[in-house]
Amino acid sequence: MITLTHFLLVSACIFCIGLYAVLAKRNAIMILVGIELMINAAILNFVAFSRYDKTNYGGQIFALFAIVLAAAAVAVGLAIILNVYRQFKTINPQNIHELKD
Amino acid sequence: MEQFLFYAFAAMAILSALLLVSIRNTARALFLLFIVLFAMAGLYLFALADFVAITQILVYVGGVLILLIFAFMLSNKELLADLQSTSQRFMSLPNWQSMSLSLAFLAVLVYSFIAWTKEAPEWMARAQADGSILSPTDDNIQTLGLKFMTQYILPFEIISVFLMMALIGAAHLSRREGSR
Amino acid sequence: MLPFFGFLMQAVLGKKSISGNIGLATIILSVCVSFFAVFLPVWNGAPLTERMHWFTVGGKPFYVGVMLNNLTVLMQLIVGIIALPVHIYSRAYMRNDPGIHRYWMFLSFFCFAMLGLTISTSLLQLYVFWELVGFASYLLIGFWFTKESAVQANKKAFIINRIGDIGFLIGIALVYTHCGTVDLGELFGPQGVFLPAVNADGSWLTLAGLAFFLGAMAKSAQFPLHVWLPDAMEGPTSVSSLIHAATMVAAGVFLLCTIFPLFNETVLLTIAIIGCITALSAAIFALGQYDIKKILAFSTISQLGFMMVGVGIGSWDTAMFHLATHAFFKCLLFLAAGAVIHEMAHFKATHQLDIDPQDLRNMGGLRRYLPTTFVCMTIASLALAGFPLTTGYLSKDSIVVQAFEWGFHLGGIYLLIPTTLAAVSLLTAFYIGRLLFKTFFGKFKFAEKLQKGELHDAPIAMTGPMIFLAACCLFPACSFHPFDYHQSWLLGEFHVKTAFAAVAEMHSAVPLVLTLGALAAWGVGWRWYVAKRYPLSKNNRWVRFATRQGYFNEFYQLLFVKGTEQLSRGVYAFDHYVVDGLTRTFSAATRRLSVAAHWFDRHMVDGLVNLIAGTTYYVGHLVRHVQNGQLQSYLGFALTVVVLGILYLIIK
Repeated sequence: MITLTHFLLVSACIFCIGLYAVLAKRNAIMILVGIELMINAAILNFVAFSRYDKTNYGGQIFALFAIVLAAAAVAVGLAIILNVYRQFKTINPQNIHELKD
Repeated sequence: MEQFLFYAFAAMAILSALLLVSIRNTARALFLLFIVLFAMAGLYLFALADFVAITQILVYVGGVLILLIFAFMLSNKELLADLQSTSQRFMSLPNWQSMSLSLAFLAVLVYSFIAWTKEAPEWMARAQADGSILSPTDDNIQTLGLKFMTQYILPFEIISVFLMMALIGAAHLSRREGSR
Repeated sequence: MLPFFGFLMQAVLGKKSISGNIGLATIILSVCVSFFAVFLPVWNGAPLTERMHWFTVGGKPFYVGVMLNNLTVLMQLIVGIIALPVHIYSRAYMRNDPGIHRYWMFLSFFCFAMLGLTISTSLLQLYVFWELVGFASYLLIGFWFTKESAVQANKKAFIINRIGDIGFLIGIALVYTHCGTVDLGELFGPQGVFLPAVNADGSWLTLAGLAFFLGAMAKSAQFPLHVWLPDAMEGPTSVSSLIHAATMVAAGVFLLCTIFPLFNETVLLTIAIIGCITALSAAIFALGQYDIKKILAFSTISQLGFMMVGVGIGSWDTAMFHLATHAFFKCLLFLAAGAVIHEMAHFKATHQLDIDPQDLRNMGGLRRYLPTTFVCMTIASLALAGFPLTTGYLSKDSIVVQAFEWGFHLGGIYLLIPTTLAAVSLLTAFYIGRLLFKTFFGKFKFAEKLQKGELHDAPIAMTGPMIFLAACCLFPACSFHPFDYHQSWLLGEFHVKTAFAAVAEMHSAVPLVLTLGALAAWGVGWRWYVAKRYPLSKNNRWVRFATRQGYFNEFYQLLFVKGTEQLSRGVYAFDHYVVDGLTRTFSAATRRLSVAAHWFDRHMVDGLVNLIAGTTYYVGHLVRHVQNGQLQSYLGFALTVVVLGILYLIIK
């Protein structure tokens, strides 16, 4: 019997893995990948809860929207990475520290 | 049977994700992402969200992943060289602070999920009592289409405009400045 | 007052007054005034007192003024009459002296002070003049101040006088405390406050009496404060004759007679004993001296001892009597000695001999060359020795007779004093005979060097006064009866009641014994000195003892001078080691303390501050990494906080 809890646990694992990727990777593209993983985990969460919502189908609708948004985010993110590379000649976020005081 | 499949898909997703964040080689990592996304789509099916699963495969795998791979493959030689010269080893050592933070988050989430689902929220219980939960024999696609055009028309339109904006913006951002 | 003006005028005129006429004029006028205007009216009459308000201390007024009674006018007259011949004599004696204007100045000042002393109306005023007299004596003793010995002598005189003055002052303070007044008239007059004060509480009486006697002791050169008088002979001889023979030294006796009612039995006995000791010791010392003036100085001390005994036994009238007569013949002795010394100095200068003109051993046989001087000196010597037909006979024998009566009255050991006095009289005769014989008889020591007419008698300015004084030494001056002193008009006016009865045998026995003794002494002296049959060897121990004045000066030197030096050295050492040592220890301790404080400050206080700064720096160094521009670390920190927040919510 697949209960809600299973889905939630899997979602939690994926989310944390994605979080790790965002925090620890030295490659900007890998950070994007991490963000994607996190969004995917959230979508899984939505979908898991949508089983109990027959009247509104809210979970599934929002899952679809989230997928679209993720795609848009990836596109823009890549464009930004390209520009950052042009500027700093590197995509290692640890070398891009002009933001500090 | 169903459970076994579920566990298989779940394991595949998690393992691929773990491998994904361990590998140094970015190209191979992207292919692992491909596997993760497929596994996730399978999991959606188990949650009786077939349209979302298909959309996931179409958009994510067929769009985002292809975009990533193309962007990665078709970028400058220097970029590639830079990316590939990060390390000689296959696996990268985990960063301890990030690892501990992730594990902390995991613990928190797991604990909260388990503690929360011990007593199901009342709307879920009511829905179950009403019998208004999804069943495998429901017609999802029709209902979803209907919902899009009636209840959720506004977000639908906004999303499309937004998507257009994002694409134009990305295209503009990545345009090589001719007048520079 | 007149001599004071003379002093002032001479001080102003300075070198112009070398002739001394002003001083002379003032003294003549003084004498006339004192005799005619003062002496005659007051003698035997009622006492006169004139007072003027001087100052007030805390509600108590003090007066200055003039008091004239028998005692004071007699003293005043004596001072005037002695001063006059001395002034005339000084004109010739001090001629050609470079500091002669100073001499007249000081002489007038002294006369002023002495006259003021005699007519003082209160103890305070008397003390002021007492001090002035001492000061004048200091100036005059050290007249030839270029001589080292003169300077030492006048210092010694002044210091010893000072000691006496302390006694005087203590006495005044005691009297004032207990009687409430220092005015002589109020104290001792017919309505005097003295006796009631004594009857009220007489415990202080002995102390006051002794204190006053201390003052008189220093001034009148009693044992043991007599050491200044022989050294005071460094001054000019005329000064010695006036001051140290007749007037200043008599001031002490005058004081005692003035405050006679003050003394009780104990004090009187002390006075008598000390006077006796003085007389004896001075006579012994005089026996061994070789300097003319020193012999005369010791003779003065001895006679003052006589006078003190007179006061001590209660008959101060005889003491005053002796004072008056002694003034005349002692002054004459000094003047004659001055004439001799003058001639000897001339002789020395002419022949360029290295001799002391005052030394007896250089003289001899001067009778032929200075006849007038010889005659005057003989008369004076006879008076001193106490031969009949002289005033000295009357006064000295009066004292000795009274002493014997007193001795018989008290009996026993008290007879020692009169006996001693008698012995001293014999010694007196002996030493003055010695002086006479060695100077005027025999052969002149430097006869072979002598030229004709070189040694001659003194000029008339010097011999005139001497003759006048010689006349005063003979008996008509004081009494119309040559042998009985009770009939003396001088003595009779002091109505003094003595505690003892007169013993008639004494009146005839004592003078007889003394006269015979004096003759015998002169006989022995003749044999020894003129006939040159001297039994004792030259370096006899007793003779040396007498010559060195009983080693008294050495004793004083050791005791006081060396003692003071040791004390000062000790105090200096104490100051140097203890006081300075203490200071140095404190400063060293403070320096150590400051070093410790500096260490503490540097390591503890600064260390604390540095610690805080260091900690802040370290913490900042750590926290700096929050803002390092790393995107992922920013994210990491934010998520950490989120996790912690959620954990908190869960746990709550």
